[in-house]
Amino acid sequence: MKHLSPVSLKVNGELYELSIPPWRTLLEVLREDLSLTGTKRSCQEGQCGACTVLLDGRAIYSCLFLAVEAEGKEILTIEGLARSAGALDPIQKAFVETGAVQCGFCTPGLVLAAKSFLDENPAPSEEEVRRATVGHLCRCTGYFQIFEAVLAAARERAGKSAPA
Amino acid sequence: MGYLRRLPRFDYLAPHTVDEACSALAERRGDARLFAGGTDLVLQMKRREITPRAIIGLKGVASMSCIRAQAGGLAIGAMTTFRAIESSPLIREKHDFLCETAAAIGSPEIRAVATIGGNLSGALPCADFPAPLMTLGAIVKLRSVRGERALALEDFFMEFAKTAAAPDEILTEIEIPSRPGFSAGAYLKFHDRHAMDMTTTGVAAFVTWDREKRLIGDARIALSVSGPVPLRVKNAEAALRGQTFTEKALEEAALLACQEAQPRASWRARREFREELINVLTKRALRQAGEKARAAAEKGNA
Amino acid sequence: MTVQACGDYAIIGKPVPKKDACIKVTGEAKYADDLFFAGMLHGKLLRSPHPHAKISSIDTSRAEKLSGVRAVITGKDFPGIKYGNTPQTRDYLPLAIDKVRYIGDEVAAVAAIDEEIAEEALDLIRVEYEPLPAVFDAEEAMKPGAPQLHDHAPNNISAETAFEFGDVIEGFAEAGYLQEDLFETQAVKQGMLEPHACIGQWDETGKITLWASKQSPYVVWKQLSMGLGIETSRIRVIQTYVGGGFSGGKQEAMPMDFSAVVLSKRCGRPVKFVHNMDEVLTIGHMRHPMKIWLRTGVKKDGTLLAQHLKIVADGGAYSSIGQLSMYLPGAMLNLPYRVPHVKYEAYRIFTNNGFCGALRGHTIPQVCFARDSQLDLIAEKLGLDPIDIRLKNGLRPGETTPNGFRIGTFGFTECVEKAIEASGWKEKRGKLPRYRGIGMGCGSLVSGARVMGHSASTAQVNVHEDGTVALVTGSTDVGQGADTVLSMIAAEVLGVGLDDIRFALVDTDTTPADPGTFSSRVTFWTGNAVKIAAEDARRQLAEIAAEKLKAQINDIVFRDRQVYVKNDPQRRLRFEELVRLAQHRQGKVIMGKGSYTSGEALIDFRTGYGNMSPAYTPSACVVEVEVDPETGQVTVTGIWGAHDCGFPLNPMLVKGQVLGATVMGIGQALYENLIRIDGKVMNPSFRDYKMPLTEDMPRLANVGHINVVTNDPSGPFGAKEAGEGAAAGVIAAVANAVYNATGVRFKSLPFSPDKILFALKESRREAECGKA
Repeated sequence: MKHLSPVSLKVNGELYELSIPPWRTLLEVLREDLSLTGTKRSCQEGQCGACTVLLDGRAIYSCLFLAVEAEGKEILTIEGLARSAGALDPIQKAFVETGAVQCGFCTPGLVLAAKSFLDENPAPSEEEVRRATVGHLCRCTGYFQIFEAVLAAARERAGKSAPA
Repeated sequence: MGYLRRLPRFDYLAPHTVDEACSALAERRGDARLFAGGTDLVLQMKRREITPRAIIGLKGVASMSCIRAQAGGLAIGAMTTFRAIESSPLIREKHDFLCETAAAIGSPEIRAVATIGGNLSGALPCADFPAPLMTLGAIVKLRSVRGERALALEDFFMEFAKTAAAPDEILTEIEIPSRPGFSAGAYLKFHDRHAMDMTTTGVAAFVTWDREKRLIGDARIALSVSGPVPLRVKNAEAALRGQTFTEKALEEAALLACQEAQPRASWRARREFREELINVLTKRALRQAGEKARAAAEKGNA
Repeated sequence: MTVQACGDYAIIGKPVPKKDACIKVTGEAKYADDLFFAGMLHGKLLRSPHPHAKISSIDTSRAEKLSGVRAVITGKDFPGIKYGNTPQTRDYLPLAIDKVRYIGDEVAAVAAIDEEIAEEALDLIRVEYEPLPAVFDAEEAMKPGAPQLHDHAPNNISAETAFEFGDVIEGFAEAGYLQEDLFETQAVKQGMLEPHACIGQWDETGKITLWASKQSPYVVWKQLSMGLGIETSRIRVIQTYVGGGFSGGKQEAMPMDFSAVVLSKRCGRPVKFVHNMDEVLTIGHMRHPMKIWLRTGVKKDGTLLAQHLKIVADGGAYSSIGQLSMYLPGAMLNLPYRVPHVKYEAYRIFTNNGFCGALRGHTIPQVCFARDSQLDLIAEKLGLDPIDIRLKNGLRPGETTPNGFRIGTFGFTECVEKAIEASGWKEKRGKLPRYRGIGMGCGSLVSGARVMGHSASTAQVNVHEDGTVALVTGSTDVGQGADTVLSMIAAEVLGVGLDDIRFALVDTDTTPADPGTFSSRVTFWTGNAVKIAAEDARRQLAEIAAEKLKAQINDIVFRDRQVYVKNDPQRRLRFEELVRLAQHRQGKVIMGKGSYTSGEALIDFRTGYGNMSPAYTPSACVVEVEVDPETGQVTVTGIWGAHDCGFPLNPMLVKGQVLGATVMGIGQALYENLIRIDGKVMNPSFRDYKMPLTEDMPRLANVGHINVVTNDPSGPFGAKEAGEGAAAGVIAAVANAVYNATGVRFKSLPFSPDKILFALKESRREAECGKA
């Protein structure tokens, strides 16, 4: 049985040359090998959304994804979002300001899901926000302040990208 | 008792072409599992329901991820994700209810990864794609080092979690015949929550309208979670052919569908409840598909 | 204490973001599972597959030989001392020794170099069990001859409570109408997203350190000491960020905590444990499933005269906080309604199910579901409006209840009125189309209670020379906003900015002893302690400022990082200037300290008399639903909650608490059910244990939260509880709305589609028979 495969992962713009067994999930590798613990380990069954990362811009559950299969893709974790913008991303800012963060365990996953969604649908309806975030459990907020945050972030982003 | 665990150890093979995949599967005959999106398989492995010695990852087989029009209909590569199906203008034009079926499965995170081939090959009664595809007369293409064969999807599901594919065969493509004129489909399902939930019962209906006679020309009905495998309810279908589109006809078809179904009683749902759902969803799906087909006929939009 | 006019606050009352929100949105906040120590090992627990069995032998030798395994321990590696919350409830062992009592009971623990090997090692531990007869139903377990779980508890009675205040016989005799119903509730779970996690270290000096996701580090510290038989001075518990608590295991020491430290002693390395979610859902601390019998006597005009409540609760295999769990439902017969005669009998019964404990509202939501459902039944029978019957019987400020609760501020009437107004009740009730309905449920809760030996809250305010302040308390933030609200209190008193306050996570070595976060006590109790501590620091600073500015101490004002003389604000110092003056010139390091306790006596939970809490909060919830008559599925189309939190110190956080609590109530009403068959949890995953998701929520336009402001004189800046009370009435509101929509009354939880569909079919059939 071949144990270690060389895998290069591009995470948050940086290239990591790793040697990992194929049975490790992307979640495990991000947290345990790359110390990117902003990606949370919760249900590990693709139900809660806490481990969500972006793969080529698209939200996926890293607990259901083999790390070897992420080779050659652009991976964005929550640590890369703030860094790439230099300050808080408008989505992060909106989550802070609308009270969408309580215990915070669902937050990184939701912020990334919202990014992937807003990148594709910059001016969503409330109904679309609801559909886009359905793969994320939040036990603290009851979700309403999260809807408000995503809608506020969309407005903020639209304001910034509008021609002066 | 099994608690969730880390993934078991396995060899990982990453073919780039269907031929390579076929060879790999032939070589590792019996101890390898094909790995598509992996959203079901990873879970089954974490729960130790399956422990394959090797995994053949198909994400790198580019040719298996496609949606194309072809003579006689549409072809969808087995590695096409739910997301690709949901957002495909071609599928929306031909069979919009397949887009809706895809869009109603799981969450965007699941749909970005899970594939139509995986959904069919798992042969789980709760999978949502078999039923609607069966009403469309879909055909599955199976490839192996021995060659290629085509099989009606209806004949693909053998028993719980088991398909007619031989151990060395790969489901590569799903072919959907062209839609007859004045026809429409619907797939309706029930689960406890409003989304992101396992289907308790699902019903697909596909109705072709007889424009001349103003009757139901043809009807096909297939059920999810209503037996060990997805199934067509042919008595119900036969009862509708040539009927006027009335509540009474739908009622009769729904009763027949319930009789043909073999829903299971489990802690998830009582048998009686599933039967009620088959009844109501059959009527609703027929109503939705039938009304759409009839409207198309009345407008003359094939 | 100076009393500031309401609304004249610089910080209090503002909807400012949670202090730690920034480091949570960036993923920087470290939860227990995010800590990796050099040389750290990974632990896993072996659990009983039997609901009830004697352990004949445990052979760990094969596991120990597995490459990568560093140690394996069993119950015999502990001193065999049972631990628990109170002397009556000490029945846990760190690992089982001779007997297992439920499927999931911990029997052995492994430490290995990685999780994979630790899991593999579990397969190699051989446990010989001698299965014993098991019992899963509380009423069965009470019968003579039933399997017995604990030697100290004949007939499996874990806790019993009986009290009567007034005379219900007399009350029922006077009543013009009697209503009697049996309600049933299910097992539900906390459902926090962060699984239990800890890292234990036993160093060479014998000092034990536990980093853990705990909402009550103090309780864990005490229990570790008890179960390990080691003095508390050698134990240190350090709280990490907590990814949701909602009571339960994060309130207590768990087998993983004990195992982590003892394995660390064996291996000389830190050992980490993280539960998988299926373990979290299998092990204890579910909400008690109950059979609730309630008999109520009323006058024809709806005035409540007497209530008799009997409860049999399935407590599962262990006690948790049993006595309190059984006291609370009876106590809540006295709130929020005025009932002159109340009688209560309750049994908490041991069964071979996972054990039950506290969960947001503890055992109060169950009884509120029964009582507020029954109120609607009574109103209908007597031809009364369901709102009128509530308003007629609602307690008013200044009353004392039969069980001795002294009601101070209590905006019950306002809660009901505001909820009606916000929901458009008058335009909707009776006017909605068929299968749509609207219903109300009310509840009440304490603002902290004295439930154990040490109940006082404590705070320290350490003022630094740069003008910032370190706030140290023993209360934890579990996401509810304690960090922010407590900091706001300190900032307001000291006249500094919220960002100037640094809120520390609990470390039992350095933070003052405070029982932690439970029973909705933090804002009120710790809030008062923080206020006292900040005032202490301010007084020290004011003395120096008065001297420097040549003014009276009482004329010194602290605001906006400035310290000045009232009516002569030009005579001023910058706050940090004053601190440096104190520290550098006068050698006075400014540290304020404060303790708070309500001064109420500890109630004997078995007899039930006394004032439990310094303040009580009422709430009212309105829910609107639509029912699919062909599938039985309920869609919640609107929720409106009004809650008397005294004064909302931070309205944005209060809103989050109230709406979050409301949605949890909706989860229990409609979706959640931990299904056990012969003691085995059938649905230990978030796929099958169904908590509400975004698409189950009503539209934002149909969601309302209203603060009823009563300014409690004993709460900090007028505040009372906000985290749990709002959950109490929600289930009844859903039940009443479903009844309003369908005409069918559901008395057992959850209101599943199957249940609703078949009840609707039955009622249609009856209606047709009636016609024929």
